[in-house]
This record gives sequence, C-alpha cells and structure tokens, in this order.
Amino acid sequence: MKTGAIKYSILLFLLIVVAPATLLPNLSTSPIPIPISYSFISLQTITYTPEFNLSSDSVVIPLKRAGRLFLIEAKVEDQTGNLVFDTGANGLVLNATYFRDHAKTGGSNTIGITGAVGVVEQISISRIELPEITYKNVRADVTNLGHIENRRGIKILGLIGFSMMKNLEIVIDAKHNQLILIRIDKAGRRTNSAGGEFKADYMQRIENNTNILFLKGKIAGRNLNFCFDTGAETNAISSDSNKSVLNTLTITRRSVLKGAGSTGSEVLFGRMNDFAMGEKQIREMETIITNLDALSDAFGTKIDGMLGYNFLEQGIVCINFVKKQFGIRFIKGEEK
Amino acid sequence: MKTIIRYTFLLVGLIGFLTAQAQFNPDKVCRIENGRIIFSVNLKWTEKEQKELSSLFDLDSTLIAQVYHGKSEMKMADETWKVKKVGDNLVELSKPISSKADKTLKTNDVFLMIDKWMNFTGNFTEESVVFGVNNLDRPYVFIYNGIKAQFYLPAFIAAKNVCLSGTFNSWSATHTPMKRVSDGWMADINLKPGKYTYKYIVDGKWTPDPNNKLRERDGEGGYNSVIYCFNHQFELKGYVNARKVVVTGNFTNWNPKGIMMNKTAEGWSLPVYLRDGTYAYKFLVDGQWRTDPANKTVRKDGNGNLNSFIGIGEPYVFKFSSVAGEKQVILAGSFNNWDQSELVMNKTDKGWQLPYVLSPGNYEYKFIVDGLWKTDPVNPFMTENNGIHNSFIALKANHLFELSKYPDARKVIVTGSFNGWDINGYRMIWQDGKWIFPLYLRPGKYTYKFIIDGTWILDPQNKLYEQNEYETNNSVLWIEP
Repeated sequence: MKTGAIKYSILLFLLIVVAPATLLPNLSTSPIPIPISYSFISLQTITYTPEFNLSSDSVVIPLKRAGRLFLIEAKVEDQTGNLVFDTGANGLVLNATYFRDHAKTGGSNTIGITGAVGVVEQISISRIELPEITYKNVRADVTNLGHIENRRGIKILGLIGFSMMKNLEIVIDAKHNQLILIRIDKAGRRTNSAGGEFKADYMQRIENNTNILFLKGKIAGRNLNFCFDTGAETNAISSDSNKSVLNTLTITRRSVLKGAGSTGSEVLFGRMNDFAMGEKQIREMETIITNLDALSDAFGTKIDGMLGYNFLEQGIVCINFVKKQFGIRFIKGEEK
Repeated sequence: MKTIIRYTFLLVGLIGFLTAQAQFNPDKVCRIENGRIIFSVNLKWTEKEQKELSSLFDLDSTLIAQVYHGKSEMKMADETWKVKKVGDNLVELSKPISSKADKTLKTNDVFLMIDKWMNFTGNFTEESVVFGVNNLDRPYVFIYNGIKAQFYLPAFIAAKNVCLSGTFNSWSATHTPMKRVSDGWMADINLKPGKYTYKYIVDGKWTPDPNNKLRERDGEGGYNSVIYCFNHQFELKGYVNARKVVVTGNFTNWNPKGIMMNKTAEGWSLPVYLRDGTYAYKFLVDGQWRTDPANKTVRKDGNGNLNSFIGIGEPYVFKFSSVAGEKQVILAGSFNNWDQSELVMNKTDKGWQLPYVLSPGNYEYKFIVDGLWKTDPVNPFMTENNGIHNSFIALKANHLFELSKYPDARKVIVTGSFNGWDINGYRMIWQDGKWIFPLYLRPGKYTYKFIIDGTWILDPQNKLYEQNEYETNNSVLWIEP
C-alpha cells in the first residue's frame, strides 16, 4: 500500500477491517523487512535533496490551510497548484487528474480505502518547485485525489511527505502556518549554527529508518505507537487498544455509515483525556476511534494511533532524521 | 445552627447532583469498555433528550423506544444490543464495537461525516456579498481607482520579504510579492469591484492588515482582513450643516441605522461596493428620509412611499416580439420568485421590452402574455422540469460547454456538480456544427458529464477527469477567479 492509499486509510481507516493478507501479495511474500510499502517497495527509503534557490541556509515555506490540511504551493512540471503536506505519505503522490498522461515507469497493487485492491502507477517528474527550493528527477505515484479537491474546493496537485525533506532539519510551526527547512551536514548539525539549535521541551529518538515517523506516546500509562501524520485532519486511536486505554476516552459522537445494501460501519469520535508525551500531559485532543488494522498492515508495524492536526496544534515540532531526533516545544497556555 | 446550614448545603448539593444526573450530557453518555460500546441511559430523560441521544450517536429511534419499554435484549440488523439495569432509573445499553468492513461505503460520506463532527464548514468567506464599505484606520493604506488596487503596509521595515495573499490570488503565498518603499511595503494588483479577504505574509508569517479594522475569522483561530473594491459612490449634494447623513436601502434590509456618509466640501458621499443588481435606497438626513435628488428613477413601494432606484451593472433587455396585439406582457423568473405582476414590460416600436439589471448568474424566465405563460420564442436555451419548459439565460456566462460530436443525437444534456447532477436540467442545442450550452459558474471546481440520448459520456475535448464513486469518471473543470 502506498502513501496515497495510506493517507486514505488514515482518514479512511474508519472503514475498518482489513483486507486479508492474501490481498497483499507484496506484503505476504516479501522478504524485505518491515516497514514496507505495498505498492512500491523500492521507493521506501528513497530520499531527495532539494536545491536551494537562495544562498541562505534555511527556507520558510508558508503553509496554506484548507480546513485542517496544510498546503504547500508548488509547481510540478508545468502545473501550478497545491501539495498537501502529508507526512503519512511515503513518497510523492500526484493527482491522476493532472498527471495521468505522464509516461509510466511502473505500477503496482495498492489497497484502497475500503480494502479493495487497486493499482497505483508510478511516473517520473523532472522538476518540482516549492517556494525557494527545487527538486529534480523525482519519482511519484499517481492516484485519484479528486475527493480532497471536492471537499476542500481547492486544486490539489498531490501529497508531499518526509521523503522530500529527510536530509534537512524540519521545523513545523502549525500555529504560525510555517514549515521551516534547515540545511544540515552529514552529522545532522545545522550548517549555519548562528541561530542555535532547536530548543525542545521534549525529545525522542527516531528508531525506524523509513519516510514515516513513528512516535511513542502514553495513554493510561501504556506505551503506544503513533504515526505522526500532518495529513490526518484528526487524531486516531485504534479500537483494538487495551481496555485501560479505551476507558480514558470520551465518546461524543457515533455514526453508522451505510454503503449500498449493507449493514454499515461504525465510526466513533471523541477526545483523548490522558495522552502524554514524555512528562507532558495533553488533555482533550479530538480523536477518531476506529480499527487501524489496515493501517498497521500498510506500515508493516502495529499502529495504536495517529497524531495529526490536533497534535500539531500543541507546539512547534522539529524533526532531524540524520540525528534521528524528534523534538517538540509545547505552546504555553497563554500563547494559545 | 451551623449544622443546619451544613445539612442544607448538603441537601441542595445532593438535589443538584441528582438533577444533573437526570440531565442529558453528551459528554457523559458513551464509553468503551472491554470491547463494548456502552451508553448510560437515564430512563427519566425527556423525549427531546432521547431524540438528542438518538441523533448524536446514530441510535435507531425504535432501539431507544425499546430501552424505555424495559426490553433487555434487542437485535438491530445483525447486532445484538443488551440492556443492563445499573440504578433506579439508569440502564446501560451496550453492544460490541463493530469492526466490519463495508466495501460499498462511499469514501466521501466518511470525510463529510468527519467534517461535520469537527464543525468544519468549508467556506469561511462569502464573496458573493451584496454590499460592503471599508473601514480603514488610515485611508491611504488602500487606494482603488476602479481597475487597480494599491495595498500599502507602512510597517515591517526590517522584514526581508513581504507578500500579499488573499482571495484575489487564491491565497497564493508567493504570487504577489510586495515592493519595498521607504517606510514599508506596497503592491499593486488589478481587481474587479467586489469583496476580498487577505493577509500579508511577512518573512513567512501570516499577518492581518494592522490598519484595516474590517476583519473576519479565518477559521483557524485568527483573522483575515476584508477589503471592498467599490463600484458606486452614493452622493448627496448640500445639507452641509446636517450633523449626520446615512444611506440605507434594500441592500441593508432598510436598517434605519444605515451606513454613515462622509462629509465633503459640497455635501455627503460614500464609496461602496454593490453586487450587480437592482436596488432601492434612501438617505436619512438628521433623521429625515430623503430620496436621492440626483436620481430620477423613483418608484413607490407597497405602502406608497417613494424610493430611489439604481441598477448596478449593465441591464439586460428582455424582449418579447409583438405578434397579435397583446394588451399586457409581464416578465417573471427565478430572479423575482416568479412574481406575476411586478415586472410589467414596456410597449415599444420594436415590441415589448424591459431593461433589468441582474447579477451574473443562471436564470429561468417566462413571459406572461395576456395571462398566458410563454417561453421566449427567440431563445433556444430551455430547462425542463417535470415536463414544464422555462427559458434559460446565463448572464455574463463564463463557460460554454461544447460537444462537437453526435450530430444525429436527439437529446444532449450537460449535467454536473453545478446543478446537482440534474439529468433533465440543461439541454444543449446544436449550433454551428456542435452542441453548446452556456453557463455562468462561480470560481471553483466542477465535475460534469454529457448525456447523449441517455448514455453518459466524458467530455471528449477535456483531458481532465477523475474517478467518481461509481468507479466511472467525471470530467473536471476549474473556473479561475
């Protein structure tokens, strides 16, 4: 399963149940260690180093918002529009509406939102321009992202995740709608140390080696594995979580969504009351409660939850994949 | 005595506690325990509270009714609900958390549900607003000459880079860089009259205009600045000794507070934005109603009062050719709720005519000729609803749907998100070797298809298309602002 599909599962995950392993040929037969991408295994650790247009050692990319999505203005080949900043996406995913005519470089199976198997095709893009930085020769998956456009009324060229910025220090300041990319050396140190280092209230070592960031958090004293996903418009908690975890949640909404002629699927919405990262307790983050098995299968590792928009609102996040460090500086009460 | 007070307090507290328990609190109704979803239901809840429970948690009303009738186990669809008594009037309704897949579920329904839960409404700004005036701390920070707007930000001298971003450039963070001037930043941009919301981006930081008092929520906890590019100036000559002059009209719902006019050397004036259309208005000079002495178009309202009238925009002249010595022709349409008497047409040498100003849009209309409803005989564009035909006009049409195939088709329809996928709606006509249908579409994304004698097809001349929920495709059209 590929980024695009993953993203979906994230939000889509709601839909519960997981395709049996037989639907996932790449996964079930692959000797490659997890985490894994269903659709394009060789892409999983590819990262790209952008060319800075400016001589400066960092760029501030303004993030636009469409609802709870963060958008980066971009020019992809000759198309101008927006890329969703989506760290739940494994690589670059482009919208079929605008890129389906590009020459294909490959194709593979993916798991769709509702568990059905589909095909994602790969293309090669010669040039992507973000504010102040440029990428050349990037591989991308192509899938239908029309439903995001339709819900948000904005042109979405695609999704962009960490694969495009792993060789940089990444500072995400959701409150000020900024993504700051800072040049670092091979040891992960800022090439221009004049501004000092990021001051974090809490730091965590990044243990996996993929383009997806997994973070440890605690609910009811239990360590849980969360996927850090800037594309998730709400947090999520697995409905399979330990009962002590689920007992701490407040459920404020429930819906049974019905498809054609079936009994429907249950989706719950509520609040996490007891989430902690390090010593910091974060109360009352909105969350969806649902089965995340499809997502766990997609990432090849057990996922207990997703940290999305509601988590990003809590502070300024700094990620350095070279130093393998995740840091967060929480917004103090009066700043909120 | 102290003891009595203490007990009184305790008693009051206890009553309060019991009352609170009986009240419906959506935060305390539902929990998950051991893989079961459990609803704590108070059997004293009113019918209204039961309905709220039913709607917030998507619980079938017959299920709730059975709980209140004392049932202990119910089967709904393929799920078994159990009821357990836990107190005098308290029961717990529970079932296992569902983990079934539903592959027929529409993705969009899920997203829309989440949007609803998160109170996300989508559009934060109403750009098709009828009327607006600016409210600037310093008038020179925004100058508009009918074509060019100049934004001036006398601040942030030390900034490295400032951009202007707003509805006029689709909130682009980069398309409109500002020029450095001696005491701040400046940008010129060509704008049509209308309402715009914007922010400055100062070294990457989104900032509302510090000199603009008109703001609206940006949906993210902050504010966007609001500016109107005006297209009309209300003017009242004289009354130089008046203390206060306001203008009011149907654009303010005749609010007697009106909008304050500015004193000038010759009288009073107020630049405003008015959307294209026809408006009634009056001035209030120190509380006295006055029609506009400079405007000859004055009509009586239903109470016999005179009002001044203006049309903003170009009038469209509705015409009906006289054929049989009609005595009266009335225009009625979707633009005036099909009023059967209001718009009496004028008899001229060239037939019946009525100039009428309408905002850009798609309208249906008919003529009432001596009491008989007739479509416009010279307009080939029509809509059809339950066998009833109306004439159709797209004023300031900005998109022409074209299909240059299927010359032998009997009926070609264009349908899409712009008309709720109405399959009868817009019937295309064959003209100059192609099927055409003109529409006015507001900026944004539209999906559409053609229906050729009942067969749905993509627009063969448009390479943009996307998959729809039926796993076929829809053509995609973007109307740029």
